[in-house]
Amino acid sequence: MSGKEFFARRYERLGWKFDEVEPRQAIRINSMNAKQTDVLKRLQSLGMELEKIPLLKNGYWVCKSKFSAGATSEYLLGLYSIQEAAAQIPATLFTELDDKTVLDACAAPGGKTVQLADLMYNTGAIIALDIKKRRLVALSNQLERCRVVNTVVYQMDARQVSELKVKFDRILLDVPCSGNFVIDKDWFDRRTIKDVEKNAKLQREILAEATKVLKNHGEIVYATCSLEPEENELNIDWAIRHLKLQVEKVNCYGVEALTNIFGKKLDDSIKDCRRIWPVRTQGFFVCKLKKSADA
Amino acid sequence: MIKSIKYFVNQFNANISLDENLIVKKDNRYFLVSEHLKRLITKDFFFAGTYLGKIKNGEFFPSFSLLRMIAEKKANKIIVNKKAEWLFICRRDIFKQGILRVVGSQRKGDCSLILNRHGECLGFGKVLCNLNKDKRRVVVKNISDIGDFLRREIQEV
Repeated sequence: MSGKEFFARRYERLGWKFDEVEPRQAIRINSMNAKQTDVLKRLQSLGMELEKIPLLKNGYWVCKSKFSAGATSEYLLGLYSIQEAAAQIPATLFTELDDKTVLDACAAPGGKTVQLADLMYNTGAIIALDIKKRRLVALSNQLERCRVVNTVVYQMDARQVSELKVKFDRILLDVPCSGNFVIDKDWFDRRTIKDVEKNAKLQREILAEATKVLKNHGEIVYATCSLEPEENELNIDWAIRHLKLQVEKVNCYGVEALTNIFGKKLDDSIKDCRRIWPVRTQGFFVCKLKKSADA
Repeated sequence: MIKSIKYFVNQFNANISLDENLIVKKDNRYFLVSEHLKRLITKDFFFAGTYLGKIKNGEFFPSFSLLRMIAEKKANKIIVNKKAEWLFICRRDIFKQGILRVVGSQRKGDCSLILNRHGECLGFGKVLCNLNKDKRRVVVKNISDIGDFLRREIQEV
């Protein structure tokens, strides 16, 4: 149960006809460090051609550039970050972030942590976790480069976060996932359904632990760059039934998530999650969950 | 620690005030945190708040965040043009013709922050000769520059 044909057939059964997609580089302007118009002017004067990404306030696709977007003074000064378009969506879905206590549970290499800090104007606090020390170095470099000052980083498995004894207002779960063929050209050769199921189990464990440390009325944004329903709609259906989380409607790029997976009927509210088939971006899935007082 | 930081900052003819109670240490690295953040540090952390720098073999190595903090104060600063900015980020020294303006000391042996035309701190260097008199081409030696972020990324790969 693997290979390009197998997965392409699955996607077709889910309503999307497989097509090769070229990944496009995107940047996100860190508005806590500079005015968007000033950064755009500076990048344009360097010969960088940019196109605004719909529905994202600070996101731009790099259409043409004479040099690497990661090797300009403006990048090194933290005025912008390089972040794929779909990956810019999750952090923007939280209702309110100023002065909140936020958990970024699987944070490295830190693109979304920096984005959260930017959306919080460096107020409140972010606790950022990752399990691998080598990845924490990359995360720390990002935080220093982008002038983030509201974050504490721990080397920790997200499934143990309750050990910190902190309750969070907002939790970003950009969980480890199987990925997709747009960002990994060998994806079809490497992935099997067994991998997908293994990742889905890990994701459920992370979701369960995150729910424990989420305050009542708090929000979780759950995201994967996987197209596989086991890691997306089916996990959210499980979270609704077992963790008593509620899906909140989000307004972002993408189509309604699926409520019928290979004949299995899921909770109707799952349609309010967003599935992003790879067309102009990589493949992605995102949803917002809320914990009610009686959960 | 505060002593090492203050000594380092003084080399730029500058002063910054730091609340010692809000400085936390992890191995040989030092961080400045807010009250809120300090309350959240409950176990062994990896990084927190604003990274100030590290001490290695008794010597203090500043972070770029600390250099930015100094740049916000009255301090020795050399403002360079676009070409000198790029060369400096690529670890090169500063030529006299790349300098647009000098603020503070221009004496040989002093430390100076290097800023671009937008007033953003690119790193720091040591003045190699009296900037007023000397006609030498290389006038500031690069000690540390933000191109280091890129070099670290390459190292990580």
